[in-house]
Amino acid sequence: MPTYRPGPVSLLLAVLVALFLLMPLLAVIPVSLTPSRMLTMPTGELSLRHYRSLIEDPRWLESILLSIRIGIVSSILSTVLALTFSLGVWMFQPRFTAALVGFVLLPMVVPPVVSAVTLYFLLTSVSGLTSFFGYDTWLGVAMAHSVMTVPFATVLILVSLSQLDRRIDLAARGLGAGVWERATRVIMPNIKFGIVTAALLSFVLSWEEIGVTLFITSVNAITLPRLMWMGLRDNIDPAIAALSVILIVITVLVLAVRSVITRQKASP
Amino acid sequence: MSDTKKQTIESLAERTKRGEISRRQFAQLAGLVLAGTPLLLRSSGAYAETKGLVLVNWGGDAITAYDAAYGQAFTKDTGIPVKMDGSGPTEGAIAAQFKSGAPTWDLVDVDPFSAITLGGQGMLEAIDYKIVDKSKMRPGFGWEYAASTYFFSYVIAYDSQKFGSNAPTGMADFFDVKKFPGKRSLYKWGVSSWEAALLADGVAPASLYPLDLKRAHDKIAAFKENVVSYWGGGAESQSVLLNGEASMAIVWSTRASLIEQDSGGQIKFIWDQGLISPGALAVLKNNPGGKDAAMKFIASTQDPQKELVMFEKLGQGPANPATDALIPADKKRINPVDPANMAKQIPLDMEWYAKNYGAALDEYTKIISA
Amino acid sequence: MRGTLSDRAGAALLMAPLLLFLILAYAWPFLGVVKWSFTLPTPGLGQYHALLTDELVQSVFIRTLRIAAIVTLVSVTAAYAITVVWVRGSPVQRVLAEFCILVPFWISVLTRAFGWVALLSNRGLINTWLQSIGFISEPLTLVRNEFGVIVGMSHFLIPFAVFPLASAMRSLDERVLLAARGLGSSRMRTFWTVFVPMTRSGIIGSAMITFVFSLGFFVTPAILGGGRSVMIAELIYLRIFQSPDWGLGAAISFVLVVFVGALMALLFRYVKPKQLV
Repeated sequence: MPTYRPGPVSLLLAVLVALFLLMPLLAVIPVSLTPSRMLTMPTGELSLRHYRSLIEDPRWLESILLSIRIGIVSSILSTVLALTFSLGVWMFQPRFTAALVGFVLLPMVVPPVVSAVTLYFLLTSVSGLTSFFGYDTWLGVAMAHSVMTVPFATVLILVSLSQLDRRIDLAARGLGAGVWERATRVIMPNIKFGIVTAALLSFVLSWEEIGVTLFITSVNAITLPRLMWMGLRDNIDPAIAALSVILIVITVLVLAVRSVITRQKASP
Repeated sequence: MSDTKKQTIESLAERTKRGEISRRQFAQLAGLVLAGTPLLLRSSGAYAETKGLVLVNWGGDAITAYDAAYGQAFTKDTGIPVKMDGSGPTEGAIAAQFKSGAPTWDLVDVDPFSAITLGGQGMLEAIDYKIVDKSKMRPGFGWEYAASTYFFSYVIAYDSQKFGSNAPTGMADFFDVKKFPGKRSLYKWGVSSWEAALLADGVAPASLYPLDLKRAHDKIAAFKENVVSYWGGGAESQSVLLNGEASMAIVWSTRASLIEQDSGGQIKFIWDQGLISPGALAVLKNNPGGKDAAMKFIASTQDPQKELVMFEKLGQGPANPATDALIPADKKRINPVDPANMAKQIPLDMEWYAKNYGAALDEYTKIISA
Repeated sequence: MRGTLSDRAGAALLMAPLLLFLILAYAWPFLGVVKWSFTLPTPGLGQYHALLTDELVQSVFIRTLRIAAIVTLVSVTAAYAITVVWVRGSPVQRVLAEFCILVPFWISVLTRAFGWVALLSNRGLINTWLQSIGFISEPLTLVRNEFGVIVGMSHFLIPFAVFPLASAMRSLDERVLLAARGLGSSRMRTFWTVFVPMTRSGIIGSAMITFVFSLGFFVTPAILGGGRSVMIAELIYLRIFQSPDWGLGAAISFVLVVFVGALMALLFRYVKPKQLV
């Protein structure tokens, strides 16, 4: 089957971009092997002491698990909210669409610092009510992350909806399909990629969120970036470089496994 | 909200803590009690987690050091757990904590001048000198809203490899790139940069305060192209010297000795014209862990043995003069309050900072960012 | 077709959850922040007057816009180049491109910024290498300035710019492209006259994300900018968390939000909402 493939010029440019993207990450690898207690390039011998300290210090694992939990909860919340909203926009094209979408994008355009202040005051007033949902609690952080990631999820789903041929929906409607059927059986299967991307992006954004997390956590809800910040800001702890190398390796493995699976599916 | 309602909820909270009712039930019951009250119930202990203290400092090694020196011992003696938060109690962050109406911080590691400002606005508890012992402090370093717990200094650190046998002897050398070539690094938040500029410009240490800001800023503006970075945290000041980006920087003395160690002695520091400053603990108004517990904690930090740990771990100069005798002879060199070092330094004027810091920092930021 | 009762009810039902969530969790407390700009330290428009006369605010604002524009251009262009391969390349090329896009994504913004410091600083890899091949004698100043900030920000934003582009490229009709090539149009020409216009909504979404995101950047400029208050977000941080001058901080934030709002309104006018969504 003939397909439209990128030519040599496109490939060359992509390689340059790829190098640019990977360079600072590759620079992290030698740093993680430094015998020094500071984040510096090793000058002579190499050492694994920073990898050891990752295992020996239970705080790393605790914060990783916490970040995963927060990431999953906030990603589900963001994706569901963004999806229903986007379906509403696309299917019914209500008046003031631009204004409503603009409103939803607000947390994305407002500088994170201002959002941090906003969410800080919200969560501290809520923590007056309950102790499990407020300042410095994992649910509070998950909610705050949802506020921050939902605009991204919405943009992605709206963009993929914009690629969808409206006639498909009109046909389904003409055949008497209700709103629920149109949404779940006609539209959603066609924007699967957009939805998955939205969920993935929400998770990753939550996973690495620091600008807001910094201000709404104190001693209990220490997410991974928060812990890294603590190590980096005042110490430049090379354990962070070691952790980054491990994350890079995990990402590579996951992607590799995924591509093997897709290939097997593609050629039965 | 009526007192009865508040009491009902508090007793519910008590029972929840003892495990008699589940959290879920508690939430439902509390919801019922609150049904007629649109007011938000502020935390005032209505349903607090295990009572403990949260101490907020500037992070990094300070988290483990405060825990090892003070936190664990305090928990052992009193049964009150102490958690360390390294997020940095800036003036704005403390104000935000206070104004939220439900502060979650108890103790903060602040500049005394910030404590004077914030205390004046009613955001801090007055130090209870019945619990905190003033006689265990150097005279003049116990304020109404803050008690000094350590000393540090802004000192010149330099790359000895770049200057050969030549070594800087004061702020005039810092601003002299002919004699001492290379880039410089200054503190982003202004403190020490003004004094350095004025000293370099020929102002006598005794007549430094009140600072002639115009003169200081002119000097800094003219020197700007030689400044590679304005460091905002200890780590930045360390890396800018270790990476060879600056040949000289004004850094915290606590970091200077670390840089010396990490560079294998290549980067040295001097006490001459260092600007010495106390560090202090303050207590937030209506702190969740209770005022008395917080005061007792401050009192517990006055123990010379504990301050010795802080000196060994962080290079903090002890606040209690009784600690001086415990410091081993070979370590006296890095103690900012050691008499030999003290004589070379100039103390920062806390009163001047309390009155003028905000406006001065504004002007400074304008100049370094332009 | 539009405006029947069931339609309106359906739309309301679908759109309400997110709108309610954001009103309660965000808009309401945000209005509280905006209120400060009119009430702190004294009620009135004093903070806005101060804003108009404050040279620092103005110069930082202009610099922020300039950097954001450059970063947007760099990021979208670079993202486009790699997305083409990610979406349209051979299976191996796709895996490699995906790897290059997703891996940086998983690494904290802090580490990435420090990665750039390790590369670009005086004793960093690039300067060491350039010196060892004798290309330069003195190290080049590559970080702690605007250049470093632009490099670091672009690096952070390229993956964000990729996703809208990928969505657009993935779902365009391949037959049109093949038809154009079949009709004898050159590779270049097909790309510029057919491929790019067909991904317009992706380009706009991508540019929108990068531009607004760079306006609020905080961590990267703080690390790579050498401590000067390069970007407007840091100025807001300074006003709110450093020296508690919440009135001015809130006023700057509000102006910034209004500015971005106006920008988006303009965008929506130029591009019909239907094309965008």
